[in-house]
Amino acid sequence: MTLRQSLWNLFREANRTLFGWVKDRFPTAPWADMTRKLIETDQRQVPRSHAEKYELKTIWYWYPLYCLGGISFVAFILLTITGIVLGFYYVPDGRVSYLSTGKLTNPAYDSMIYIMNTVPFGFVVRGLHHWSAHIMIAAVFLHMCRVYFTGAYKKPRELNWLIGVLLLFLTLGFGYTGYLLPANNLSDGAATIGINMAKSVPYVGDLQAQLVFGGTDISTTNYVLRMYWWHVFILPFISVGLMLLHMALVWLQGVAEPH
Amino acid sequence: MEVDRVQGKVFEEAPGFPTQYGPERSDRQPGSPLVPHETYRDLVSIFLLVAMSFFLTAWIVPSLETPRNPAQTPFIVPDWYVLFSYGLLKLAEILPEPDVPGVLGLPAFRLTAGFWGFFLTNIPLIILVVLPFVDRGRENRPAKAPLRSAFGVSFLFVWMFFASMYSVNNLILEKWPVIADDNVLKAFFFGPPFLSFVAAYVGLRRLGYSPMYWYRVVPLMAAFLITAGHSAYILSTIGAHPQWGWIAAFLGLLTAMTIAPAVASAYLPEKAALRATVLSSVFLSLLGVLLWLTFWYYSPGPAYATEVVIVPNMHTVLALPVFSVITGYVGLRRPYSTYEYLLNECYQCGKCHTVCPVTKVEDDALGGLNLVYNSFKKEHDGVPLWTCLACDACSAVCPLDIQYSDYILEERAKVMGQSAVDGGEER
Repeated sequence: MTLRQSLWNLFREANRTLFGWVKDRFPTAPWADMTRKLIETDQRQVPRSHAEKYELKTIWYWYPLYCLGGISFVAFILLTITGIVLGFYYVPDGRVSYLSTGKLTNPAYDSMIYIMNTVPFGFVVRGLHHWSAHIMIAAVFLHMCRVYFTGAYKKPRELNWLIGVLLLFLTLGFGYTGYLLPANNLSDGAATIGINMAKSVPYVGDLQAQLVFGGTDISTTNYVLRMYWWHVFILPFISVGLMLLHMALVWLQGVAEPH
Repeated sequence: MEVDRVQGKVFEEAPGFPTQYGPERSDRQPGSPLVPHETYRDLVSIFLLVAMSFFLTAWIVPSLETPRNPAQTPFIVPDWYVLFSYGLLKLAEILPEPDVPGVLGLPAFRLTAGFWGFFLTNIPLIILVVLPFVDRGRENRPAKAPLRSAFGVSFLFVWMFFASMYSVNNLILEKWPVIADDNVLKAFFFGPPFLSFVAAYVGLRRLGYSPMYWYRVVPLMAAFLITAGHSAYILSTIGAHPQWGWIAAFLGLLTAMTIAPAVASAYLPEKAALRATVLSSVFLSLLGVLLWLTFWYYSPGPAYATEVVIVPNMHTVLALPVFSVITGYVGLRRPYSTYEYLLNECYQCGKCHTVCPVTKVEDDALGGLNLVYNSFKKEHDGVPLWTCLACDACSAVCPLDIQYSDYILEERAKVMGQSAVDGGEER
């Protein structure tokens, strides 16, 4: 046995020992095979829509409106990326304190100043987050209008419509909670309205305000922390699941066209 | 030979029609390739969106305002998408705030404006949730479901817009002191949504080729009667005023703008009525502008006419003429979609071909002549157009209620009109 052969055998044994252990337990070959077949299947096509199939000529003006759901999803991805970057620097603490100059401030507002002035490209990231949010909400609203006017919520798509309504209100919730995070005077105005509206419901009002805003009085409540919790943990957790379900149902049931 | 030609046409492997009218039919349709066509198109859209966000960021960097100060009264400007809720909260002041006594050991409470605002904000949510279980009809097309579409226009767009507008009522009253009356803004919650509902309903019925006459005449007549009555009421209440003549002239002009479409659509044929509506509205608008300029030039001041007469009553004397002109126009115009719009509903089940008696006796039928299909594809070259008996057997079996023979008769009328113009020659 030459040196070359013995080295090769050694290598083969080592390979079997190291990767064989994994392969014995997690056989990856069938999955790799399936993936390769999936990629190599020829004539992978996006199926024709009803209008394309039957060469309909008069409803073309609805077509640009069919991309609105996708636009809102792309905006959501952009929001996720920029939101993660902002999360590195943002401090969710809205308790006010006085500077030595006698001026009022709070840690959340300070961290926003830091993001805007000191973090490299911080103002770009925050601007993208801000404008993508507006784009997403506008796209979601227009998407709902399109679904309404083309009657796409009808049988068999009622469940998907309900998921969409939930997603619309979750999106508005994202916008509202995000609006409260900078802890500036506008946040205080919006939080005042929100807390008062939540409190005014009989019997459950205070409980509701306590749950959503973390308190029932605007001047003593650190609502910023609770809004951060909604904005960063709860709402994304629910909405991502619902979005996937929403799109899976569109895939299963097909796109509804007016015909 | 003719049979072969027709057969070739019908059984052509055209996109969208791989196999026609037989047991061999398959629904496999060629689509666009996923890579690269669809992928690149999606990528371009995504890049456009990202570029738009960057552009907006560079253009308007979001402001930080001043840090929160719990000791101060907060400055309230919500983002645009929750303005409607704030507007409803402000509107809630017109509702009563009753004290509800405690029952079953529960404490008493008061239904405040905050509660009504919360309650009104949830009404859109409830409407959206119950929608698919209330509207269970089959029609998908907006023009075929005019009630739903008109409700959408008036509720989703007009009502939401005016609810949002009311959230800044104090700014509006400050900027345009001539309004100076909050009730004028409150009226926008009810008037414009209702009027836009009626106008959209009439216009969409027209677009969907539905019977029109009373749907057009009743709202227009009502608009005329309300405008005329309200103008008379205004003139009787302002008493002897130096500007009485001017005000009467303006109100008369506005009433004339409502009477023209109403009378025209009631008594004239459609084409003439449309012409009368458009011409009268243009003429009266120009006359109104001229009158206003003259008034503005010669009169001591337009304040009384606008502040006391027009602005508080704009929900009738200004809104209804606009409503009349728009409703008259959309209810009378020729729909831009033709019969193709109705034929396009066809999903080619082939039932019409099965029952068509012409295909049983005509020689061409053996080669697969299909009257409906050929006229739908505009490939009839006169054969299906003139062999059709207009017996309506196809419409009777059509699962989508497409009135094929109406289309045939319309096409024949068109051809006959054309040949009459050409001196009665055969085409």
